[in-house]
Amino acid sequence: MSLKKTITKTTLLAVSAMSLVAATANTAYAGPYDKYKDTQLVVNFPAHPHYNAVMKVLPEFTKETGIQVEVDQLQYLKMREKQTLELTKRKGDYDLLAYVVFSKADYVYADQLENLARYFMNPRLADPKYDAEDLIDGYVSNIGIAGGKKGYLPGATGSLFGVPFGSETSILGYRKDIFDKHGLNVPKTYDELLDLACKIPQLEPGMGGLASRAASGHHASHAFLLHLAPLGGRIFDDEWNPTVNNAAGVQAAEALKTIVDCGAEGAKTFGFAEAGASFLQGRSAMFLDSTVFAGQVNNPSKSKVVGKVAWAPHPMGVRKGSQTGGFGIGIPKNAQNKEAAFLLMQWLTSKKADKLIALQGGNPSRYSTHEDAEVNAKFPHMKTFGEALKHADPDWRPIIPVWGKINADLGTTLSKILTEDADIKTSLDAVAKRTRKIMQDAGYYTWK
Amino acid sequence: MKSARLNKLTPYMFLAPAGLVLALGLLYPIAYMVYASFLSWNPSQLIGEADWVGLKNYSDLLVDEAFRESLWVTMKFAFIVVFVEMLVGVGLALLLDRNIRGISVLRTIFILPMMIAPIVVGLMWRYMYHPSVGIFNKTLKDMGFESIPWLSDSTWALVSVIIADVWQWTPFIFILSLAALQSLPKSPLEAARIDGATPWQQIIYIKIPLMMPVLIVTLLLRLIDAFKVLEVILVMTNGGPGLSTEIMALRISRTASEFRELGEAAAMSNYLLLFLLLLTMAMFIYNKIVETRKEKLLAAAEEG
Repeated sequence: MSLKKTITKTTLLAVSAMSLVAATANTAYAGPYDKYKDTQLVVNFPAHPHYNAVMKVLPEFTKETGIQVEVDQLQYLKMREKQTLELTKRKGDYDLLAYVVFSKADYVYADQLENLARYFMNPRLADPKYDAEDLIDGYVSNIGIAGGKKGYLPGATGSLFGVPFGSETSILGYRKDIFDKHGLNVPKTYDELLDLACKIPQLEPGMGGLASRAASGHHASHAFLLHLAPLGGRIFDDEWNPTVNNAAGVQAAEALKTIVDCGAEGAKTFGFAEAGASFLQGRSAMFLDSTVFAGQVNNPSKSKVVGKVAWAPHPMGVRKGSQTGGFGIGIPKNAQNKEAAFLLMQWLTSKKADKLIALQGGNPSRYSTHEDAEVNAKFPHMKTFGEALKHADPDWRPIIPVWGKINADLGTTLSKILTEDADIKTSLDAVAKRTRKIMQDAGYYTWK
Repeated sequence: MKSARLNKLTPYMFLAPAGLVLALGLLYPIAYMVYASFLSWNPSQLIGEADWVGLKNYSDLLVDEAFRESLWVTMKFAFIVVFVEMLVGVGLALLLDRNIRGISVLRTIFILPMMIAPIVVGLMWRYMYHPSVGIFNKTLKDMGFESIPWLSDSTWALVSVIIADVWQWTPFIFILSLAALQSLPKSPLEAARIDGATPWQQIIYIKIPLMMPVLIVTLLLRLIDAFKVLEVILVMTNGGPGLSTEIMALRISRTASEFRELGEAAAMSNYLLLFLLLLTMAMFIYNKIVETRKEKLLAAAEEG
């Protein structure tokens, strides 16, 4: 350790001596970071397992580049309000911020995020070894790009506004011990999944099949959308007509209802935390939700199922499709140190940092990190996650400014289906009708 | 001449600072909210960039099913809660208005719930209502009964939040009615006792009517508060299942933060404000009518 310190000290000395020489000799030769040395960056990150891992790796960046980073870590639900205020100021306090995926629609539409093209074009800033192809496509399409197909997806007219960082997908966790005990096969299709979900409570009295979110609002809607994409459905067709009430939509709602009915006690009001707790406490045999959850399973202080859980890809319906979500990082238009912020962004999402963060328990954004031997030695599920990510669906839910309203309506309606036995088809028809009205007001049918 | 005019102006000069504070602190925010309610305003925009839409927010809300349901839920919640709280609170006050040993300790214990932060109250009740590990269902199951879906059934969820609110706010009514009871003039009660009134008669014909002015104000305060309740319900059910417990304050907060429609949220707040204003005015007018009638009766009695 002390040896390492001495070495860094000497290199630091050497570097500063060299820059001194360079400055006096007035040569143009300098490292990419030299110009920004001692810059003070202010970044906004959420309190989230991935970003907690990032905090452990950040000192490495400062050591390597001399750029100081001050992190404002906020609870992730509070973040958006704060950012909205910050972004409307003439001069913002944040140089780099992590945004939730649905903020992409608002921030890009309000012209508050920097288009990253000019940074990746700048030879002094862009690292030729960055290897953007290695970034997970589904994440980049979902979180980073806007302006292409449907406005929020990649396409001929799209461009990049952020880089996925702390992104997540859906994955199926199951109790290996229970599956072995009863000779059950890991479900690969939705039919198998639903069948198993209701079989388990019979085989293991008191245990629920699949722990799923179902609480009124965002949670119920999220759970429904998880099933909608693999079952072949979408909220809208290509002309923004609501299709949530078609056969696939009904099937997804039925799937959700089956899962909740065969779930653990109280499943009808589970949020993400309750569904997770139910699985960690051993009261549910399966769990189908975000990969961010995987970090807790083998933590003995939170989990009673340490070492008993295995992972499999999100089962397929008519197609393979897992969710895409979580966070990306972008540079605000009103930032003070945009170039240094870009360097930090590039460094954080580089192969090297991605791996360092993964080793601290973060969610990697690169395929290579998922296949990395060292990472897999520590987190054996990474390889499965990497495979699953090849089918991550960037369009599993629309990312448009009015989505919040539609999402809330969908979520409360689904809650009525789950708790009050409202008729599925009639309820979804009503959602489609109200959605059409919301879309109409927002101007989506102007060109009809 | 000059000094006379100055004398006339003096009271206004003394009132001016207070008037200024009132205008800045009270009227400006309300005016801002009223102005915002005529805009289609997204939080990513500065207020100057928002489009003027006139009364559209108000008319849209009138046909918005979710808003109407939320209004209905709020009314149900507020009126039931306040009715039960008044009944229990005044009843408790009547019971405890006597010299029992350790009464001051008892009183302090009774008003404890009121002092707990609403978020904590919400969390506490949410855990007590928990379907499998909560104390209610555990007790029910131990006694051999079916467990109750406290928060996962739409009817029960409303009942559950009502119970929690009654638990927290009955003490408020209790403490105010107790104060009112203890400051009642002794002479009418003594006269009634000498005339042989039973305790029930004393309560119904003497105590309650004399407490009326205080009770009305208490009722009003509670009603206004009940219409604005947010945290406890936010934590306990977040408005669910369905929209069964989505009271107005929660709907307003979601409209502003989740749906990002500040104009509509402002319009909703104005509806709530208007409604409460009407309620308050109706209450005072009723009070006035009752009082004038009483005075007339009194005058008539004196004449006769």
